[in-house]
Amino acid sequence: MLKGQRRIAIIGLLMALALLLAACGGQAPATGGGAPATGATAPAGEPAGGGAAASGEPIKIGAIFDLTGATGDVGTPYSQGQIAYIEWRNANGGVNGRPLQLFSQDYAYEVPKAEELYTQFVTQDGVVAFSGWGTGDTEALKGKIAEDKIPFISASYSAALANPAETPYNFIVAPTYSDQLIIGMKWALEDWKAKGNSDAPKFAYLVNDSPFGRSPLADGTAFAQANGVETPLEVPSPRGATDLTPQLTQIKDFGANYVFLQNVSSPAALALKNAKSLGLDIQFVCLNWCANELLIKLAGADAEGVVGTIPFSPAGDGAKVALDYAKEKGIDYGGADSTFVQGWTAMSILVAGIEKTLADGKELTGENIKATLETMGAIDTGGVTQPIVFSSTDHAGSKALRIFRVENGAWVPITDFITAK
Amino acid sequence: MQSGTFHTNYASDMALRPYWPQRIRIVLVIVLVLAFPWFADRYWLNLANTIGIAAIAAIGLNILVGYTGQISIGHGGFLAVGAFSAGLLAARLNMPMWITVPVASLFTAGVGAIFGLPSARLKGLYLAIATLAAQEIIIWVLNHGKLLGIGESLALPRETTNIFGIPMIGNTDFSFYWVIMGSLVLTVIFVSNLFRTRAGRAFVAIRDQDIAAQVIGVDLFTYKLLAFATSSFFAGLAGALTAHYRGIISWERFTIDTSILYLAMIIIGGLGSVSGAIYGAIFMTLLPAILSNLARALSGTVPQINSYLPFMQQGAFGLAIILFLIFEPEGIVKMWRNVKDYFRLWPFSY
Repeated sequence: MLKGQRRIAIIGLLMALALLLAACGGQAPATGGGAPATGATAPAGEPAGGGAAASGEPIKIGAIFDLTGATGDVGTPYSQGQIAYIEWRNANGGVNGRPLQLFSQDYAYEVPKAEELYTQFVTQDGVVAFSGWGTGDTEALKGKIAEDKIPFISASYSAALANPAETPYNFIVAPTYSDQLIIGMKWALEDWKAKGNSDAPKFAYLVNDSPFGRSPLADGTAFAQANGVETPLEVPSPRGATDLTPQLTQIKDFGANYVFLQNVSSPAALALKNAKSLGLDIQFVCLNWCANELLIKLAGADAEGVVGTIPFSPAGDGAKVALDYAKEKGIDYGGADSTFVQGWTAMSILVAGIEKTLADGKELTGENIKATLETMGAIDTGGVTQPIVFSSTDHAGSKALRIFRVENGAWVPITDFITAK
Repeated sequence: MQSGTFHTNYASDMALRPYWPQRIRIVLVIVLVLAFPWFADRYWLNLANTIGIAAIAAIGLNILVGYTGQISIGHGGFLAVGAFSAGLLAARLNMPMWITVPVASLFTAGVGAIFGLPSARLKGLYLAIATLAAQEIIIWVLNHGKLLGIGESLALPRETTNIFGIPMIGNTDFSFYWVIMGSLVLTVIFVSNLFRTRAGRAFVAIRDQDIAAQVIGVDLFTYKLLAFATSSFFAGLAGALTAHYRGIISWERFTIDTSILYLAMIIIGGLGSVSGAIYGAIFMTLLPAILSNLARALSGTVPQINSYLPFMQQGAFGLAIILFLIFEPEGIVKMWRNVKDYFRLWPFSY
């Protein structure tokens, strides 16, 4: 018995030593070579573009994705879009003949993990630009981002990150959540009038109980009040909830006509299903992260008639390139076309800044990429978004989007591009 | 058990480390801690600082769970109290770090004592659920922080991060390393000595048999509250350090997951042991980091490994806990003791 215990102890010690060695090994030589998440040697022989595989010194970009955390349902197709874009670019000659190298990992929507990975990619791997994900972690990193001078896009469109005076290296590639909510409200006000009502509608929010969920509410409420709408009711949707009936009952009792959902697809779909079984006659408006194909897949017929503010339209020419590439490579993103296109397009905007910096003959540093993004004018995304424009005083690159509605199980655009202003 | 040691005075009898191998080891550890930041890059400094903060909080939790036997799953909440009280003092009143950190720690101790009140009536699982309530209440207040004027996250002004007026600029990971390690050393010295005092022995007596403790004259209620307060003090210290180190805090960092993680740390490290809490903090912080570095190193030869990594990390966490509970319930500290015992008698072990 004692002997057995001792043996286990020794094995444990050896394992600990091995882990320690692995850690030290990772520190010393592996930093130089690193481990490309996406091979620098991309598969050759692509039809589109016809360029040869890129060679030369790789351009390093860092990324954190949520694959297993609270927002993993949309995080996964978004990450696939970003990785696919890098592969596609490399297969078509890279950027100025240089391949892109993506350092990426899952961070499970946990702020400390995001900090750890960010530090590793920036200090050990020397990435020149970064693609993040959530609102909480992008907020937590903003100080470091400014200090390290790393141009940073993320899938958080929190308006708090759009002011370069405060967050000089954060770039927002879609209309901010606040803008999205206001655009949604604009549509709702018109829709209400078009239905022959003369009074003001009642609004409510059903949002993810997090910085992400509440990010646009203050701006939205200010807009609503300015337009004579009673202060909207704010109902948080708890993480991991399996039944939203109490929340919806609260909204029903409030008498809301329009409910704005700021959440990811799975909880939003749950809300739609619960609303159907409660027999609510309420128009749901999904902001970005639940306005996607995943919602239709999960909610089925209950998603019919839902309206969404989709900043990255899966209908443009640029989207076709992405979706064709995915089909050709057999990338299974679970049917979430718009989210896949969103990841692809977001990365393409960042890479456009890098490409222009190189084309101008400037050294590839964070400062130069930032200056280029601010001065290069409109970035064309092939109709996926309106052209993206950054300036030195405004990092919200996109102001307009189209409203979509679910009709016969598909998102159909029902308006032209609308801005919040 | 070491034998053949004869103390000739009280000083040597009371020494924390009476034997020469212990003294050599502690010198080695000190040298390692002093030398490490000069060789490490920012990534490893960041990990070391994370471990340091986690170790302080884990030692705090061990006072309550390991030494006093009061189960708490509210430690994440107490960390949040420390972090946000330091953050609010810094952000609203522009107080420097050397004031906010002690004040926040003391305030957290008070909050901990209040949430420790149910321990007068509740034991075991019931107390665990009461502390769970503490966790949820604290996070709810912070999450719906309009009450306190907190937005989604709280940013601490940079200039408040100074020590007696000396600003910590430049490589903050490097300068914080000294602050965090200094706090950890003080924590270790304090807690190691705590259990040689009346209060510490009372804690242990409560853990071993609360009725017997009461019979020999330990005031259960006072000492349980004291244990909650002391434990929360260190949680507050860790939280306040987190706030100043990270510069921006939000409640998302202090959820129930954090509380569970700290419980896992002290169980894997070793309940009722200061060094065990430190081993646990090191293990639980390095395990995912090492796995991801391993995957990076291997992804050249096994390209698919990156897609499995998230699941490996989650699995490894569970596996570590299960394996420890099966093979060494007393934790890493016991394993290390076994190794030492083995080599002390080597090659003539029995």
